[in-house]
Parts: sequence; structure tokens; C-alpha cells
Amino acid sequence: MIDIRAVRRLAVCVRSGLRGARERPLVFALSVATMAAGLLVLGTYMLIAANLRGVLERVGADLKLVAFTSLGAAAAPDEVEALGARLRALSGVAELRYVRPDEAMERLRGDLGEDAAVLDGMTQNPLPGSFELVVAVERRAPAELRALAAAVAGVPGVTEVRFGEAWVEGYARVVRMVEILGAGLGVFLVIVLGAIVASTVRLSLHARADEIQIQRLVGAGGLFVRLPFYLEGALQGGLAALAALLLLRALYALGMPLLGDALGWLVGSQALVFFGPAEAAGLVTLGVLLGLGGALMSLFSLEDHR
Amino acid sequence: MIQMYHVDLRYTGGTYGLRDISLTLERGEFVFLTGSSGAGKTSLLRLLFGAEQPSAGQILVSGRNITRMKAAQVPALRRQIGVIFQDFKLLPERTVFENVAIALEIAGTAKREIRTRVWSLLKRLGLGHRIDHRPRTLSGGEQQRVAIARALVNDPPLLLADEPTGNLDPGLALDIMDIIADAHARGTTVVVATHDPTLLERYRHRRIVLDAGRLVADRAPEPTVWAARSIGATRS
Repeated sequence: MIDIRAVRRLAVCVRSGLRGARERPLVFALSVATMAAGLLVLGTYMLIAANLRGVLERVGADLKLVAFTSLGAAAAPDEVEALGARLRALSGVAELRYVRPDEAMERLRGDLGEDAAVLDGMTQNPLPGSFELVVAVERRAPAELRALAAAVAGVPGVTEVRFGEAWVEGYARVVRMVEILGAGLGVFLVIVLGAIVASTVRLSLHARADEIQIQRLVGAGGLFVRLPFYLEGALQGGLAALAALLLLRALYALGMPLLGDALGWLVGSQALVFFGPAEAAGLVTLGVLLGLGGALMSLFSLEDHR
Repeated sequence: MIQMYHVDLRYTGGTYGLRDISLTLERGEFVFLTGSSGAGKTSLLRLLFGAEQPSAGQILVSGRNITRMKAAQVPALRRQIGVIFQDFKLLPERTVFENVAIALEIAGTAKREIRTRVWSLLKRLGLGHRIDHRPRTLSGGEQQRVAIARALVNDPPLLLADEPTGNLDPGLALDIMDIIADAHARGTTVVVATHDPTLLERYRHRRIVLDAGRLVADRAPEPTVWAARSIGATRS
């Protein structure tokens, strides 16, 4: 059963929380603007980190895992078929295609271009037959690729496996580094932004000291006194995060045509992707939590009831 | 209504605000707490509405032992007590209506009921035409009437007043005392701390005299019966 008196008290707390913004608009706006600037930096960093992660996930689509075999030019079709079936049975292999030794030689000639003449003196084709394996989308992370390569290498008849592991692992290291730096920056900004909200709420607390005294005098409980400040902090954080998100979206829309090419080296041929609804909601939630945390910090020393 | 048993209030540093106070106030009584400045009148009132905790002794208000009360239970006690101060303690940015309504809002009263009760009380106290004014535009007497309205709007069974006329001219002081006397006539138990001899002369009520934190006399209401009792007799 709903306690109607408690609901009415909550409504009074909400009005009181909004009064902070109305009665001290400059302090409130400055606090929101400062927090928004901090969240903009954090949001930008999160956007870059998310895009780098995205590149790592997408790069697997272009990546083929190549299994060189002991099958020569004279291999019988059923030998090729049998090895292909064993490879196809491995978990993570989406497709595979056999490249015959003569086809491999043709490719090599094509790759060498004008220098292909060096191959003319060869009496025998030394290239082995190979299988090109397309990896399933969910198995394209570096660790998964390594595990699949090991499994392929263990299949009898496979002599060597290649998949550009150096590039994938190097890129993964960069992404990890960016994420670690991002976490450090995140912690730093969370502390700074929390302190900003705490200062603003403390100002509110001083400005409303008389009101708090009178509220207590006429029987206000601790939560009734504190709740408006929590709401004020959460409102500041939420508004700041929304402002940061809108600003970031505007910068993205304006900057992408100019910076798209310049960022190509970082994220490849893919265009920078903006936050989806989940990430955007996450940033706003972070702002709200920061605001609440700041209010909690500033109200920590507030005594109850006496 | 109020029982105090051997109550001490000792501050850090060892000085006593109150020492070995024992007294009983009946429901519906009107009592003056009197004594010179620093005698302990304000300290005693602060103990009664839970703003201070005694260092020793027991205090019962409406049968509840407030010395054993948890901090979270104090607000409920305060909603049963109206308190008036010498400096009015009004919010300057709020209107007269809002200053009075705050007590009902905290109690979770419905908006319509708040409007009705605040309006009728302010009208009764002669402030009907000041309802939308800010406190700074009011005279001292009007401000104190607003503070009284805030203290009475919840119909508390107990009204505590700490030098309620201390900042007012003698004429206004009597007006304020008449309002408090009216609340008493409606059944409210009233404790007024004052050292104003004019008030004590005009309003013949029981007087509890404090000196340096000790209860030195407890005098009955009738002027002819000035039966000063010893502290020992009060305890029994």
C-alpha cells in the first residue's frame, strides 16, 4: 500500500531539489558547464576506444587463415576432399576454399608482375596446395584466432598455418593500451567531476543552512533534508552528460568530413562510428551517478536530526 | 506532559549548562522559565525538543523517554512540538504562506488542507493581508506572529517559546503573549522562557526559576501563594 504522506513529502523534496537551480542559476550553470567539459573529454576518449575496438572486430572479416598442406600438384581429388572435410569440421571455420599449386603459382606470378620472369626457369612447381579458411564472426578476436590456428595446425596433412598474427596482436596491444589509459583518465575525471559537484552542493548546503535548520526544527527527517541535495547533484550530472553528448554529436557531425581521412591511419578504411543508444545512455547514467556521488561526498559530514 | 529527573547538561570542558534539574509539567499547563541570562533557560528548552542530549538524567515528553530516543525518532517528536525563538527564524526568500506551510509539508499534509489551515491561522493572527509578503517587509511583531503560526499550524500539544518577545516593543510583546495565551486556552501546554518582569507580572502562571544551571525556585501561579519550594521538595 502506498503511503500518501510519503509521496507528498517526496514531491516537496523534488521541488526543493529543483529550487537549487532556480535560486542559484549561475552557480548551477557553471557547475553543469564544467562537468560537461570533463564528460566531453571522457566521451571523446570513450568514442575513440570504442572505434579502435570496432576495427579489431571488423578486421577479421578481411582476414583469411591459410593452411598450407602436404598435397602436391598430383594430389587426388578425394585426398583434397578428405582434408577439406576435416578442416571444415573445426569449430570457427565458416567457409574454406582449396587453392591448387598451379593456382598458387599463377597468383605468385601476378604478385611478382614484371619480375615474374624469374620463375620461368623452374621445371617443377614447388608450391604446395593450401586451404583458405574464412573465420566465423564470433571467433575473430586475437585469442580465438590463435586457438583456431593451433587446431588447424594439428590436423594431419597441414604443414603450416598463417593468419597475419603479428598485425592483429600489435593492434590488440594498442587497443589494450588505449583502454588502460582510458581507465586512468576515467578515474581521474570521475574524481575531479565528483569534487566539482561536491563543491556546488556544499555551496547549496551553506546557502540553505537556515532552511535546513528550520526544516529540522519542525520535524524533517534526515532523508527529507538530504534528498533535495541528492536530486540537485543527480540533475547537474545528468544535464552535464546530456550537454556533453550533444556537443560530441555536433563535433562528430562537423568534424568527420574534415578529419575522416586524417583518422584513416588509426581506424583503417572504416568511418568513425558514433555511440549507439546503449553507450549514450551509459554516459548519461555515468553523469547522474557522478552527481549523486558528489552530493554524497558533500553531505557526508552533515549530522542527522540534531 | 513533561517529566525531568536529575538532568545534567555538561559541555566539553566540564562546565555545566544545567545541573540536577527535576520537574514535572502537567498537560495543559502554562509555565514560565525564568532567570537571568545564562541561567540555562534556552538549554532546558533545547533538551525538550531534542536539540541537545542530557549528560545525565531522564526526560519524558508525552510519556516517551527522549534520552533513549534514537536520532531517527527525533523528527517525529518535533512534529509534536511547536518552537518559537527570539530571532523568529524565518526564511527571508519565502513568503509568509510558505514559511508557515513548511511545517505541514514536512508532515506530508495534502496541498488543499495546507492552504486551508495556513490561511485560517494567519487570518486569526491578523496576517491575512500579508500572506504573500516576504518576512523582511513585515514589522518585528508580524514576523513573530508568522513564527508562532508556523509553530502552531500542526496543532502541537506542546509549545516552547524562547524569549518570544525579546526583540519586540512592550506593546507588541503583549500582543504576542496574548496569542500564546490563546493557544494555551485552546489546550496547548506552553513553556515560555523569559526574563521580562512585565510579562511575569501580567501573566500569572507557574514560574520555574533557574540560576547558573540550577533550579532554584518553582512558584505556583497564584500571586498570593508564592510558595517557593526547595529543589528537594520538587524532586519528591
